[in-house]
Amino acid sequence: MSNAENLLQNNQLADQSKQQRLSQLLARPDIWQAANEHKRQRSGIASGYASLDALLASRGWPRGATTELLVNQSGIGEMSLLLPALAELTQREQMVVLVNPPFIPYAPALASAGVQLEKLLIIHPRGHKDELWATEQALQSGCCGALLSWQDRQAPADKDLRRLQLAAREGDCLHFHFRPQSCAASPSPASLRLQLNSDGEQLAVQLLKQLGGQSGQRLHLARSADLVRRDQPLH
Amino acid sequence: MLWLCIQFPKLPLEVLTRAQHDGTEAHAQAVVEQQLIVDANHTAAERGVETGLTIATACALCADLQLLQRDIQREEQQLQQLAQWGYSFTPVVSPQAAGSVDAGDDRFACLYLELSGCLKASGGLHPLLQQLKRELRQMRISCFMGLGHSPSAARMLSQLPEHRQWLRETQAPPSPQQWRQWISFSPSKLLDCDNKTIAKLYACGIKRVSQLLAIPLSEVGSRFGRNFVDYLARLNGTRHDPVPSYQPPPEFHSELFFPSPLDNSEQLLFPAGRLVRELCQQLQRRQLYSHQLRWKLDFGQQGCKVFSVEVSRPLLDAQRLIALTKLQLERIKLEQPIQALSLTCDQLLPMEQDKLDDDLFGKDTQVQRSHQLLDKLKARLGHEALSGVTLKESYLPEQAWQSADTLVLQSNRSKKGHQLKPINAPRPTWLLSRPDRLHSREHKLFYRGEIKLLQGPERIDGYWWQHGRHGRDYYIARGEEGGLYWVFQDLTSEDWYLHGVYA
Repeated sequence: MSNAENLLQNNQLADQSKQQRLSQLLARPDIWQAANEHKRQRSGIASGYASLDALLASRGWPRGATTELLVNQSGIGEMSLLLPALAELTQREQMVVLVNPPFIPYAPALASAGVQLEKLLIIHPRGHKDELWATEQALQSGCCGALLSWQDRQAPADKDLRRLQLAAREGDCLHFHFRPQSCAASPSPASLRLQLNSDGEQLAVQLLKQLGGQSGQRLHLARSADLVRRDQPLH
Repeated sequence: MLWLCIQFPKLPLEVLTRAQHDGTEAHAQAVVEQQLIVDANHTAAERGVETGLTIATACALCADLQLLQRDIQREEQQLQQLAQWGYSFTPVVSPQAAGSVDAGDDRFACLYLELSGCLKASGGLHPLLQQLKRELRQMRISCFMGLGHSPSAARMLSQLPEHRQWLRETQAPPSPQQWRQWISFSPSKLLDCDNKTIAKLYACGIKRVSQLLAIPLSEVGSRFGRNFVDYLARLNGTRHDPVPSYQPPPEFHSELFFPSPLDNSEQLLFPAGRLVRELCQQLQRRQLYSHQLRWKLDFGQQGCKVFSVEVSRPLLDAQRLIALTKLQLERIKLEQPIQALSLTCDQLLPMEQDKLDDDLFGKDTQVQRSHQLLDKLKARLGHEALSGVTLKESYLPEQAWQSADTLVLQSNRSKKGHQLKPINAPRPTWLLSRPDRLHSREHKLFYRGEIKLLQGPERIDGYWWQHGRHGRDYYIARGEEGGLYWVFQDLTSEDWYLHGVYA
C-alpha cells in the first residue's frame, strides 16, 4: 500500500472517530438541542399519571437523574405520586431502595399498590457520611431501578448533590430526593424539581425546574376516591 | 494407572521429634507402645535397640535411652497433613494408617498417589519423584517409595531394594512386562499377608512370588483361602484394587504472625490481601466457595477480636473480597497492637454450575451486581442497617407486616404455594412505629392543627382472648393543610391516636 493511500485512509478514520465522539457528546442527557427537539428520545419511566407525563420532557420520570420533590408535610399524597412507577419497576425485577424513610413503609399498602415487596430494600445508615456513601453506592451500582432518599436535618452540600446526580446517571437509576420547601430558593443540580402542596382536596404539583423542557406549569392531581370520600357522620 | 506408594517407616518417632534441633540427634530415643519398642532413632539403633524389643531389654542394651510414649492421634494428624500435601500433586490420594502393635501388625503408615494424570504437569516422572523427595526431606520425614500398576503392587515393590534402586535412576515409567518381572522376582515374605500364611508358604518351599504364580489358582485357593487368591489377582492387575480416596477437609484456616506488632489498621491490608489470595487460590483449585470469611485479630496477651465478612454469592475474585474486608477494617478501632492475623472459613461449599454467574467475558449480570451492592452495604453499615418488608397474617395493623431478611431479595423468585394477600381496604403508606397520642378538646382532634374525620369507623378488635385487648375504631381524617391521616380511637380508654399517614 502506498503512503498516500495510507494517509487518506487515516484521515477518513480520524473523521469517523470525530463524528462518533460528537454524536456521543450530543447523546448526553444534559445537552439540549433545540433543532433536534422532535428527535429526542422520550424514554422516561411512566409516572402513571397521564397529565403529569404530558408535562415532563421525557414523558415520564427522567431516567438516570435526580428528581427533587419539595414537600413540607407528609400525608398530601407524595408517595402515591411515585407508587405506580415504583410498582412498575419492581415488577420488572428491579430493586427499589429507600434510604432512611421517615416512617415505616407499610407493607399491606405497598403490596396492594402492586409493589413486589421482595424487591424493596430499606437501609438505615447511621450518620450523614454513611448515608451519602450508601446512597451513592446504591445509585451507581446499576442494579437499582429507583432510590428514594429523604433529606435529614443537615442539608447536603451542593457538591454532594452533584455527586449523587452523577451517580444516578452512571447507574441509570431514578433518584427521588425529598426536601423541605425552604430549599426551593437554593440552586440544585437536579434535572427535575417539583414542588408539592395540597390545596385541600387535591395534590398541587408545580414544576420549578426541568432540564430540556419548560417549567413553571401547575398541575392538580386528585387523590384516590376511596380516601377522600366523606361518610355521613355517625354522631 | 500408575500408583506410587510412599511409606513412612519412622513416622511414630518423627512426629514427636520433628520440632527438635539437629543437635539432639545424638541422644538415644525410642518410642514405646504397650511396653514394646515401636521405633528408635539412629543413635539407639546403633546400640542394638530395635522394633519389637521389650522396654527392659532395650534399657539393658542402652542405659540412657529416652522413652517416648507413642501418640497415635498426632500420627494420624500428620498423615492427614501429608495427604493434603500429596493432594497438591494429584487429586487421587489415599492415606493408610500404620497398624498397631497389639494386633501384631507392623505395617508402616503410607500414602498412595495416582501419578498417571500429573506426569505431564510436573515435567515427567523423574523430576516429580525428585520434588516429592525434596519436599519430604524439608518436612524432615523419612520415606521410601515404590511404583506399581496397582496400590498393592506399589506397596510390595516399595519394599524391594532392587526396585527402589531402579526408581532412583529411572526416567520413564516401566512397561507392564517389567512389573511382572519384579513381582515374580520378589521374595514371598514381602507379600502383604499375615505371618501364618508366610510361614506356610515357606514350608511349601515357595520362596519367590514366581513360584507361587506357577501353581494353578484353584490349588492356591484351596491351600491359602479365597482372600489370598483375591490379593494375588489384585497384585497381578487382573482385578481392581480399590483404595479409599482422600478428600481434603472442607475448611480453610491460615494465619500470619507479625514479628513486630502492627498498630495501624491500614498496615493490615497487605497481609490480609495475602491471606485472601491464598484462600482464593485454594478455593479455585478445589472449585469451592465460602459464605463467610472470619478474620481474627490477635492481640497476644490482651485477647483477640473477631469479625466476619459475609458474601452472598460465590465469589472467587480476590480483589472484591479484599475490598469488602477493607470496608470492615475501616470500622474497627485498634486498641492494642496486633500480633497475628488469621483467616478462617468453616464451611466451604461446592460450586455449582448455575451458581457461578461470572460471565466468560467478565460482564456483571444484574443479579450479581445487586449481590455485590448488598455485600458492600452490609460490610460498611452492618447487618442491622439493611432490611426488607413482607406481609404477615394478622388482624392488628401493626402486626400485618414484618421486617424481612435482605437475603429474601433475590432468592425465591418462584412463587410459594401459599401467598399472603394484602387486606382490601385503603391502608396508609407510612405507619408510625408506635401510635401517636392526639390531643382532643371539646370533641375536636388536633394534630398540627385541627383534623376532621372523613370516613369510618372501621372496627378492628383482636386478641381479646389474650392479655390486653386491642379494640380500635379506625377513621381516615384530613388535617388543616390537606394531609390525610389514619387515626383510631381506643375502645377501652377512649383516647385518640394517629397510626398512619396516607402519603
